[in-house]
Amino acid sequence: MFFNSLKQRTDYLVNPFSIQGLTLTWDNYVTMVSQFKILDLFGNTLFISFFTILFILIFGIIASFAFAKFKFPGIDLVYILIISTMFIPVQVTIIPLYIFYSKLHLVNSYWSVILTYLGLFLPEAILLMTSSFRGIPDEMLEAAELDGAGYFDKLRYIIVPMGTPAIVLTIIFYFIVTWNDLFTPMVLLQDMGKRTVMVALASLLSRYSGDPTFQFAGLVLATIPAIIIYAIFQQYIIKGISAGSTK
Amino acid sequence: MKNISTSPFRKAKSIQGMLSIAPVMAIILFIRLYPMVSSIYRSFTNWDGLFRNDWVGFKNYIVIFTDSPFWTLLRNSMVLLLSVPLQILIGLFIAVLLYEEVKGWQVFRTLIYLPQIVSAVTIGYLFRIAFGLEGPVNIILQALNLGKFAIEWLGNTWTALAVLVFCLTWFSIGWQAIVILGGMTRIPLDVFEAAKLDGATFFQRTFLIIVPMIGRTLEYAVIMSMVWTFTSVFAFIFAITNGGPGFETTTIDYMIYTKFYQAGSNFGFATALAVILLLIIMVFTIIEMRFTSKASDWE
Repeated sequence: MFFNSLKQRTDYLVNPFSIQGLTLTWDNYVTMVSQFKILDLFGNTLFISFFTILFILIFGIIASFAFAKFKFPGIDLVYILIISTMFIPVQVTIIPLYIFYSKLHLVNSYWSVILTYLGLFLPEAILLMTSSFRGIPDEMLEAAELDGAGYFDKLRYIIVPMGTPAIVLTIIFYFIVTWNDLFTPMVLLQDMGKRTVMVALASLLSRYSGDPTFQFAGLVLATIPAIIIYAIFQQYIIKGISAGSTK
Repeated sequence: MKNISTSPFRKAKSIQGMLSIAPVMAIILFIRLYPMVSSIYRSFTNWDGLFRNDWVGFKNYIVIFTDSPFWTLLRNSMVLLLSVPLQILIGLFIAVLLYEEVKGWQVFRTLIYLPQIVSAVTIGYLFRIAFGLEGPVNIILQALNLGKFAIEWLGNTWTALAVLVFCLTWFSIGWQAIVILGGMTRIPLDVFEAAKLDGATFFQRTFLIIVPMIGRTLEYAVIMSMVWTFTSVFAFIFAITNGGPGFETTTIDYMIYTKFYQAGSNFGFATALAVILLLIIMVFTIIEMRFTSKASDWE
């Protein structure tokens, strides 16, 4: 794929396999940036990924803290209820959501996608973080309380530092998921300037007459961020997946 | 787990706890439960999203079952489910190889999971190119003097479905291998070593020692993959076949998207399809809940 993205169109059409004796060119990448505005698309996607992850962390951590360490009537039931919404397919909710957002004038806004992602991913993130926070000894929290630590002190000095592996996994995992997702942004973002990388690529690719080498260049660029994250954090990811929590 | 319910810390903290879960509850209520209930209600109407919203009873469902490509959609999902046993079998073999730490297993473990990181759009496009009429697969077949097999893969129902099954399998093997490997870490090492010393072959070790000991992990893998196949193949289908030819490779989830975009469309019909999808998933979920309720054991 990478080699082909460097080729000229005619060379590719003659022989897609050849890797030698060709004039290699970065033209396709230059066009990707200057014409296709792929960097703007990166910006759109990053905005969505960043705020999705930020709110997953804020809401997810405090909720997981409660589910792991607080005891009051009904909390276990709420936990099961929230976790079980994980299995409602996004397709079931998307049409009412679309109408709901259009009433709030949120269609074509990144926030519609971010809100949808929060609904979709918070249960899974809470499942992961709650089971991690449960491993934190109660004695530590009690000791902190005796020293006068309040709710936010406990979060800051005990829960977050001790739960770091689960939190890091959440960040990486949902970066990759939100970066690669197609369905939700495709339905909710129809404005050309607001599309995510994957939505824009999908529409580029669905034009059959397109230039394959140019499309390859787009795919290479769109794949790089997720691959970099994976290369750096693959130990975390593999450990997290084998704990049997996410797909 | 220790018995922690009696500790003083757990008492009299209800307000903090309730406030902690309030935002998540609000999000789940508005973004997941309300739209789900709304979908179920609208599936009995001829809703168009704007003005038309009349109760039509089971009409949408009757149309789906009698006068729509529904059975083709269901058949397609069933065919795609064939990829689940393939994924798990290949994933299992790879997990055993990784477990036995064959040469280069660490590099291999990283590579096998790589497809999961690449977007479905990219993977789908590469498969579409590969199986195109003048794509690499046909070029290789012709070079091997097997030109008569060089067909229009994506133009025929069964070959197009086969390409999709192949693609989903290829994509998911890494996930299966890593999940199964995770389950295998619970197997006591000496059992495995003893079997090896007694001369058990690779297949004996896999099917007689490992498989019986990771039943729960395999069950989890099967159910998660089945749910995934029903709900998350949209991007693959979009990139590879676009649901065609006709509806021959369209699945239920893809159809909901298509109906959503049709001009003057009947959202009632699309939501009825969505409710059927929900019912299918619910069957899997009820089985799956046994695992999530044991989530605390995973620590």
